[in-house]
Amino acid sequence: MQSGAGIFFDGITSARHDVAVTLGAASLVISDRTGNVLANWPYNELEPLTAPDKVLRIGRRGNLALERLEIFDADFAHAVDEQAIHIDRTGMIQRRQRGSVIGWTVAATVSMLLVAWFGIPALAERIAPLLPVTIERKLGDAVDVQTRAMLDTGKTGTAFECGTADSEKAGRAALDKMIHRLEAAAGLPGPLRSIVVRKVEANALALPGGQVYIFRGLIDKAENADEVAGVIAHEIGHVAHRDGTKAVLQAGGLSFLFGMLLGDFVGGGAVVIAAKTVLQSSYTREAESAADAYAAALMNKAGGNVRALATMLTRIGGATEPGMKILLDHPETKARVAAINKFADAKSTTPFLDAKEWAALKRICAG
Amino acid sequence: MSSLEAEPAPGGSVRFLGHRRAYWRLLVRGALLLMVTLGIYRFWLNTDVRRYLWANTEVAGETLEYTGTPLELLIGFLIAIAILIPIYLGFFLAALDLGTIGQMSGMIAFLALGVLGQYAVFRARRYRLTRTIYRGLRFYQSGSALLYALRASLWWILTGLTIGLAYPFQVASLERYKMRHTYYGDLAGRFDGSGLRLFLRGLPMWIAVVAPIAVTIGAFIEVVDWQALADAAAAGGDDVMGRIESTNPQIADVMVFAMLMGGASVTFAAVLYPVYQALMLRWWSSGLRFGDIVMTSKLRTAQVYGAYVRFVGYAILFSIVAAIVGGLALVAAGLLAGGEQTSIFGEVAATVILLGGYVILALGFSTVYRATVLLSLWQLGMESLQLSGLSALDQVKAAGRASSPIGEGLADALNTGGY
Ligand SMILES: [Zn+2]
Repeated sequence: MQSGAGIFFDGITSARHDVAVTLGAASLVISDRTGNVLANWPYNELEPLTAPDKVLRIGRRGNLALERLEIFDADFAHAVDEQAIHIDRTGMIQRRQRGSVIGWTVAATVSMLLVAWFGIPALAERIAPLLPVTIERKLGDAVDVQTRAMLDTGKTGTAFECGTADSEKAGRAALDKMIHRLEAAAGLPGPLRSIVVRKVEANALALPGGQVYIFRGLIDKAENADEVAGVIAHEIGHVAHRDGTKAVLQAGGLSFLFGMLLGDFVGGGAVVIAAKTVLQSSYTREAESAADAYAAALMNKAGGNVRALATMLTRIGGATEPGMKILLDHPETKARVAAINKFADAKSTTPFLDAKEWAALKRICAG
Repeated sequence: MSSLEAEPAPGGSVRFLGHRRAYWRLLVRGALLLMVTLGIYRFWLNTDVRRYLWANTEVAGETLEYTGTPLELLIGFLIAIAILIPIYLGFFLAALDLGTIGQMSGMIAFLALGVLGQYAVFRARRYRLTRTIYRGLRFYQSGSALLYALRASLWWILTGLTIGLAYPFQVASLERYKMRHTYYGDLAGRFDGSGLRLFLRGLPMWIAVVAPIAVTIGAFIEVVDWQALADAAAAGGDDVMGRIESTNPQIADVMVFAMLMGGASVTFAAVLYPVYQALMLRWWSSGLRFGDIVMTSKLRTAQVYGAYVRFVGYAILFSIVAAIVGGLALVAAGLLAGGEQTSIFGEVAATVILLGGYVILALGFSTVYRATVLLSLWQLGMESLQLSGLSALDQVKAAGRASSPIGEGLADALNTGGY
């Protein structure tokens, strides 16, 4: 079949041209009823274009004008297909292209997941120490406002912060003495700011820029001063490692990776949340272990009792935690205690506070 | 020439030539790949969908052609990301400021991204139009995306303030702006739809949905002793609800009333939604003009209901299959996660199974929706069109050039995309 009919659009006007199409030696010749040649397209420049199933629509590669030839006869379309290398009505070329697209997109997904697992924590590790202290302070202040608003529900009717009333001043002085001893051993670049708040949970937390919150529940549960000092040493570890700043950087990186590049499909929101939670938990688990190691070393350096931190963790953490391990934001208590106790020196230790000071610290929230 | 005579003579109507089966296959394969690639495949899927819909839509004997490529969409998206990173970073740093800038930054970011989203809508429309080829000529769009964005943002504010009453006038005004700047070759488009007419047609539906809520708010204001309520809430403590009830004995009745009214409002909204869609589609497509070419839509509301009935049918079928498969998967997840000695591997496997199940469910319903409602709306919208003045089609001259895909990328990154 060397010739057939077609419809031709010249790309200059919208007029339909009923044309005769002839298959030449090296090109396809399109001519109108009177025999005028309208276009002469080399076979290797023919380009298939999207069309309904029964129509073969072709154009010329790299053509700026949108010339279009449409062939409706199946046999003649097949004859054109035979000549043109880029036209393939069986869909072989399309399938091969699709296969490579699938391969590349899957590879891109895997590489981005690897970036999330290894790259983001490594980047945060590198960038956090480069941030000037002033910026970290600012970040800390902003986080501090939010933290305070979250912790201070304003229900108890008394001041949120302990150690301000006259009867509490002695407790505050005891705490300062303890913190000064730790700070002197730690040698932090900036001053530590600490505050005891009326929260019954046995907890403490460190913000970027060196702000440490100590909950009264922690002091209530402690049986000696070194146990409190051990937890504060752990928080100093977070400050020294700039964990608060790293967490902000990591969260930003994850939001970028999963919020903008990945997860943009129906149901993707759940994937984003799950991936962020699991990854952030894994980041903080590492940070907690590092802070424990730092606390143990600091306690040794300050002449305190390393085992006190382990005892305290056992008391407030309980033996086993319920829930899934991959969602836990700190390592299991048993493992932490074992790791801390490895650091315990045999040499004699000096208690952080004497009995009178310790009694005063116990009453820091007495009001 | 025998094959040519088999083709219908160019008439005034629009036909859809596609087969549902092929469209289903395209969507299902796309959904699977979306899941595996965590969404990266969307550029390819969206392009495939457009190619399919365009190529199978025949206007006056000639089909449309979509010439956009997935790579263009991907590049547009990457450029959009590059534009958005500094903006997001700026807002993040501004939020750190403790003064008024920090407190205002959330609000400013919301407004700025809203305007940017409208900007993207207009530019994305330009991309799609310039990738639409018909009879060897392309469509294109002139006009300023920024002006459109400001106009659209002001309209959205007005619509918000009037609880939706201004919406018909908003659509009419924005559509006039878009169509005034739309061309097929050198044939200029315009929009003749009347906002007032849409307003009058839509008003009963608006009342049906808003009235129950308004009545409820009125009842609250009438019945509740606000001073006592505020005192009870402010006192705090464990028994807030108890104290509220003792000071406001009627509050329980009003709560029940509010729930009934809220239910009524939601029910009306759900039942009337197809009516609303049919109304919008009919009104919109009857207002489209290109030179002397006039379009009128004969779309019937019952047809749109039919699309939703098909959706519900397929959705139920899919739910049954999903329930059976999901039950088995849950058992497997339970075996992996349960037991005293759980390994990290078991937990990860269980999480992946649960998460995968959820994603399959969500993507499945979305695919069913696209293959039933969205395809039907396209098909019905097109096939119900009557075109007159088609003789103008014989002497349109080429004009316009292909535009950049940045608008599509922005719309994608900001989630304001369309087809
Ligand atoms: Zn910690």
